[in-house]
Amino acid sequence: MGNERNLGLFSAVMIGLSGAIGFEIFVLLNYAYFDLAGPSMISALLFCGIINLVTMFSYSELSAAIPEVGGEYTYTKVAFGGFISFMAGCLRWLASVFGGALAALVFVNQLGVLFSVFAPSIQDLVLVNAFLLIIGLVVILIILTIRGVQEATTLVVGGFLAIFIIFLAMSVSYTLTPQNIVPVASGNGIVVFFATAAYLFPMFVGMRALVAGAPNIKNPGKNVPRALMITTVLLTVVYLAVAYVAVSVVPVSAGVTGNELPLLNLAASTIMGPIGAILFALAGIFASVSSVGTAMSVQSSILGGMSRDGYLPDALQKVHKRFGTRYIAIIGSSLFVIFFGTSGAVEFLGYAASFGSLLVFALVNMSLIQLRRKMPRLDRPFKAPLYPFTPLAGIVMSVLLLVFPVILRDVNAESALLSSLGMVAIVMVTYYLRMVKREIDFNRLRAAVGGICLGAGIALIVLTPSIAPVSMFIPMVLVGIVSIIAGMLNIVLSARKID
Amino acid sequence: MENRRILSAIFGITQGALGVLSAVLAVMLFLNILEVQAVFNVPSELLPLCLLVLVLFSVFSLVSGFFLISERWRQT
Repeated sequence: MGNERNLGLFSAVMIGLSGAIGFEIFVLLNYAYFDLAGPSMISALLFCGIINLVTMFSYSELSAAIPEVGGEYTYTKVAFGGFISFMAGCLRWLASVFGGALAALVFVNQLGVLFSVFAPSIQDLVLVNAFLLIIGLVVILIILTIRGVQEATTLVVGGFLAIFIIFLAMSVSYTLTPQNIVPVASGNGIVVFFATAAYLFPMFVGMRALVAGAPNIKNPGKNVPRALMITTVLLTVVYLAVAYVAVSVVPVSAGVTGNELPLLNLAASTIMGPIGAILFALAGIFASVSSVGTAMSVQSSILGGMSRDGYLPDALQKVHKRFGTRYIAIIGSSLFVIFFGTSGAVEFLGYAASFGSLLVFALVNMSLIQLRRKMPRLDRPFKAPLYPFTPLAGIVMSVLLLVFPVILRDVNAESALLSSLGMVAIVMVTYYLRMVKREIDFNRLRAAVGGICLGAGIALIVLTPSIAPVSMFIPMVLVGIVSIIAGMLNIVLSARKID
Repeated sequence: MENRRILSAIFGITQGALGVLSAVLAVMLFLNILEVQAVFNVPSELLPLCLLVLVLFSVFSLVSGFFLISERWRQT
């Protein structure tokens, strides 16, 4: 079925804004302000806007040259093919899972904030039963997503912008004291600055929805790049203004920790009174519900595309007879959302969503460079300015944001990065298991897995005396012996067949 | 030949079970079910590393176990 190009520049900007303005602002500012950078998080936000703009140049060129469904997955597939595109698809899916889980948590938090205004006893009930509420929300959204319920995009964006404008307008009567919004020029100050930028980055990445919508936009060569630029600038300005007002009315030195009320809700109730608290809590609830629903649709679409290309089991592209949606992919992804959502680890999820997106951004910039070399004659209605500096800057800045939170020894960032690396290892194994077609490939893979198990078994036995308590000594050694024997069996059995 | 297949099946099943146990332990540690972080005395700084090691060990054990169990089907 062909795509009908019927959306103009305004609709394109609305798609970009609806993807980006969401629940993230209600949750990410909190940790960034109270635990990481304080008022200088505003500079980190500006830096995120710049990275986003630089990478959006690459997105613009790629989406104009390859206006097909699939976004990042398609670009990396055309540029590199095989494993890299599989990796990009998986990372995008992972980022969406972590983002969806975070949105589910925000839903519960904002519901709690809403009840705190007029029924504190119900607020406690909400927070105690967060686990059940998240499962309930996801199950309802699974049903709605399978039924193919669409969202009123423009209405949601309009509502958000209206709330933010009222918030900014009412803050005029306040004396907004200028604070130390520039990061401290010391080693630790710079590390904290980059870590904060990494944490806040998911506030911008949703704009990629515009690229996904490119096949439906009229004159995409012109309108998509323009819309991306307009959306980036609008978004950065709105975020900076809202964050500036919030940190001005809630000084970090006032003994507030952000544990009782999130920063934005606190600022809204200070400026607008109880109405502000209710308005922002409702906005947070709608944004998070909408984001969980969008995340589930995106995840099913990515899994369906990768299954279509033979990377994942065929079952994932099974379409519901009545509603025409990929119900197995939707249910499968939602289980991951429930699992991570019920963990309650807000900071971990923030970093994890960010790391997945940053890696995808780096891959998109690499795809641009590769395509310029591989297909110099490709029709490019838009060309990224200052090539190759813009994609190179995008890659360098993405890597910096990945590294600095770990240098800061932020345990949430370390957990998120290690989890992401673990997931990447699983992705690699899955890819090679799926792609081996010949017997000899299978046996080579088997020998490699056997070698890993053999090495792991030896390491376990050698390290056990120094890392394990005495009570665990015998079980650990037994596990090591099983790994060694299993590894040797795999190596011996596969080596015979390779010969 | 038959002995080797039986041996493969036994170690395949054992290793697969160890893989499942590792995954379950990783989930329990992550969610701190039954206070396992305190039971195993895992400091919060080392939790990410423990989770990574457990998840990787689990995946490779499951894959290796699967290869050994599938030896039986591949021969027949």
